[in-house]
Amino acid sequence: MSLRSEDDIVLGPRKVAGSPVARPERTAAVQGYIPEMIKGLGQTIGYALRNTKEMALGTRNDPVLESIDDGINTISYPEQKRPYPERFRGVHRLTQRADGSPRCVACLCCSTACPAQCIHIEAGDYQGDKARAGYEKYPKRFVIDELRCIFCGFCVEACPCDAIRMDTGIHPAPYDSRDQFIYERDLLLNIPGREGQHHTENPRVEPGEAGFPGIARDQH
Amino acid sequence: MESVSEFLSSATFLLPLGGFLKAFFVAMFGLNLGVILTWVERRMRGMIQDSIGPNRAAIPLPGPVAGGLAFGPAALGAAAVVGLWFSLSQDGGASAHPGWGMIFTQAATFLIWAFSAIMARIVRERGAENAFEEQFTDLGEPRGIVVAGILVQLALVALGVATVGTGYEQAFTDACFSGGMVLLVVVMLGTAGYVAMRLFPEKEVRLTLLGLLHPAADGLKTAFKNDFEPEKGDKLLYQLAPWISFFPVLVLVAVVPFGPALCFGMADGAIDFFTFQGIEAVGNTCEAARFSLQVADLDVGILYYFAMAGTAIVGAALAGWASDNKFSLLGGMRAASQMVSYEVTLGLTVIGALMIFGTVRIDEMVRWQTENAWGIFVQPLGFFLFLTAAIAETKRVPFDIPEGESEIVAGYFTEYAGMKFSMFFFGEFVAVISSSTLMAALFFGGWHLPFLTADGISVTLGETTYFSAAIEPSALAVLGFLTMIVKVVALCVFQIIIRWTLPRFRYDQLMRLGWRKLLPASLVNVMLTAILILAVQSAGAQMQAVVAWLGQLSMLTLGLGFLAVLIGLLVFLITPRKKQRLVVSSAARYVEAMGGVRSLKMEA
Repeated sequence: MSLRSEDDIVLGPRKVAGSPVARPERTAAVQGYIPEMIKGLGQTIGYALRNTKEMALGTRNDPVLESIDDGINTISYPEQKRPYPERFRGVHRLTQRADGSPRCVACLCCSTACPAQCIHIEAGDYQGDKARAGYEKYPKRFVIDELRCIFCGFCVEACPCDAIRMDTGIHPAPYDSRDQFIYERDLLLNIPGREGQHHTENPRVEPGEAGFPGIARDQH
Repeated sequence: MESVSEFLSSATFLLPLGGFLKAFFVAMFGLNLGVILTWVERRMRGMIQDSIGPNRAAIPLPGPVAGGLAFGPAALGAAAVVGLWFSLSQDGGASAHPGWGMIFTQAATFLIWAFSAIMARIVRERGAENAFEEQFTDLGEPRGIVVAGILVQLALVALGVATVGTGYEQAFTDACFSGGMVLLVVVMLGTAGYVAMRLFPEKEVRLTLLGLLHPAADGLKTAFKNDFEPEKGDKLLYQLAPWISFFPVLVLVAVVPFGPALCFGMADGAIDFFTFQGIEAVGNTCEAARFSLQVADLDVGILYYFAMAGTAIVGAALAGWASDNKFSLLGGMRAASQMVSYEVTLGLTVIGALMIFGTVRIDEMVRWQTENAWGIFVQPLGFFLFLTAAIAETKRVPFDIPEGESEIVAGYFTEYAGMKFSMFFFGEFVAVISSSTLMAALFFGGWHLPFLTADGISVTLGETTYFSAAIEPSALAVLGFLTMIVKVVALCVFQIIIRWTLPRFRYDQLMRLGWRKLLPASLVNVMLTAILILAVQSAGAQMQAVVAWLGQLSMLTLGLGFLAVLIGLLVFLITPRKKQRLVVSSAARYVEAMGGVRSLKMEA
């Protein structure tokens, strides 16, 4: 086995620098126990003093930016939380239109795309609403089982209306029972995005408004 | 009315009260220091393993209450300072009490720089929130503030020394006396007032006391846990064992003096507690009445210690036997054999010390050390052996074979739960404290500081006195007491460091170490000591003088070594540490783009 040779140790795309740790030599100092013990005590005291000093002076590592540097890197969860990256896929939210109704048109694209089959949608027709009735459907029920969800983000990709998003930056909270993980439509509509917004930047022109891309009611 | 005051001043009332207070203090000392040691041990574990450690237990207080807790003691302290100042002014003022002015000024300076450093640290962490806090952002790093503060304090002392004997001495002491008092009161009220003002509007303030409440909360928790009892065990012995192993280690410290003996006068054939005549130290022996600061003034002295330590073995062995569990029995047997083995070394090691000190009374051993040299200088090998055997006696790492988790679950207390378990657990910490107390008295001069005499400090080498300063006898008594406490705490912390450094011995290694290495070494120690004593006794007067000079040299070494350690710690504290930023994850890149964790409030 040539595992000991430096060139062979490869971890991922980079080569690991350095050489293998040598076995300690059994010198008289090592076998005598006491000199090595004193060295060890010194090391322990040094570590304890150094870290205590950093805690006291408030100069300990930034737990995110210096996370693999020496010293204390603890994040005191839940008072402190590690920030998630910008494109982190958190708990879902349903975006709203300007009037607060869901952007979702109950097309079932997301529930079809979902590999975990955790989205359940019951479509309904808008009733009495002159602008929308007869044009669009809406989700009577929109249920996501957050325990089943694998957070792959396919639902977001599949949505043609930018109605479902995972930009909340929230991870699912631990609850007591399974039914608390079943997120209903109204809850999903009320979960804000990272900046507290309920809408999206993508424009949406309603039927009847100027620039509506579809076929208007009076055209046929 | 007269009979009441007569009764109050009579020894029949005060002597038992003094005894009770001493016993109460020793018990409280052992128990409270045990809790604090638990905290120190866990905290040190955290610091060594690069984590914060358990520190979250808190008492939630409403803001006004927390603010009151911050401001109340400070207001009382300020009132006390003003009262002290007035009583000193009546009693001759600055010229009669030159030391007090310096104390006021130094305390005020200390408060100013400590508060500034803490504020600078807080502002660094979370940003300034008002105009007052913005002042501290410009002050720079806390480290720099600490250095500057210490330099100012040293400069004050230097100024005080420089003005002695010149025309400015009177002006300086006056300024320190009145100005220092005013400054101290203002700073005390100001800092505490600011803290109280910030706390007042808070809805809930979590009082954590640096995490000190965590072990207390854990201890409290065990009181409410299920009190399990093995079905087929021996009921009586099972209940008795925790007490037998806890109680002896707590009463061990009864024979150790916690300070110098206090001298009082006599009135009507009884001790008169209102005539304090100084402490019993080099240059002063009590003439009329002597009040020792140890609970039991026993003639058997250290033999009592060994008798009690021997009793503690029974507790562990009984617990193992009464639990009706094979692991417990194994643990109990291991505990008994280990403690008996190391007790031999412990006893034989002390014999060397007994031969030199010529007494078994611990207070007389301490007195010998104050007159000659500390025990560690006359018995270095003895100290090392004693330390090793004492750690083995407390059954702690690296000698924790009786409770080796990896082999026999938890050893002799496997079947114990709740408060009975915590009595075993806590008993170990109390055993650490009592062994440290004995070590401090036997090898580190007890309450003694180098060059401390009954009148103050006088650095004497040979016949020449290089420096001497008179200190009030009452201050000396307090100093001696505090010295003893500091020594005990330092030795406890040292044992905890050993606990976090060394891995556990194997059982055969343990026995081999005890019987084949430590025991012969302690016998050699006894022989060497005997030869040395004979040699010194039969030597001429010149040799005796050399030995006495060596003793004084050891004191000088101690004093200088202590100073060097203090300066080294200070330098270590203010040396900045180089750091490099390692943006390795996408989360880190995100945080860096947002301007760091601190401005982000770390809320995802």
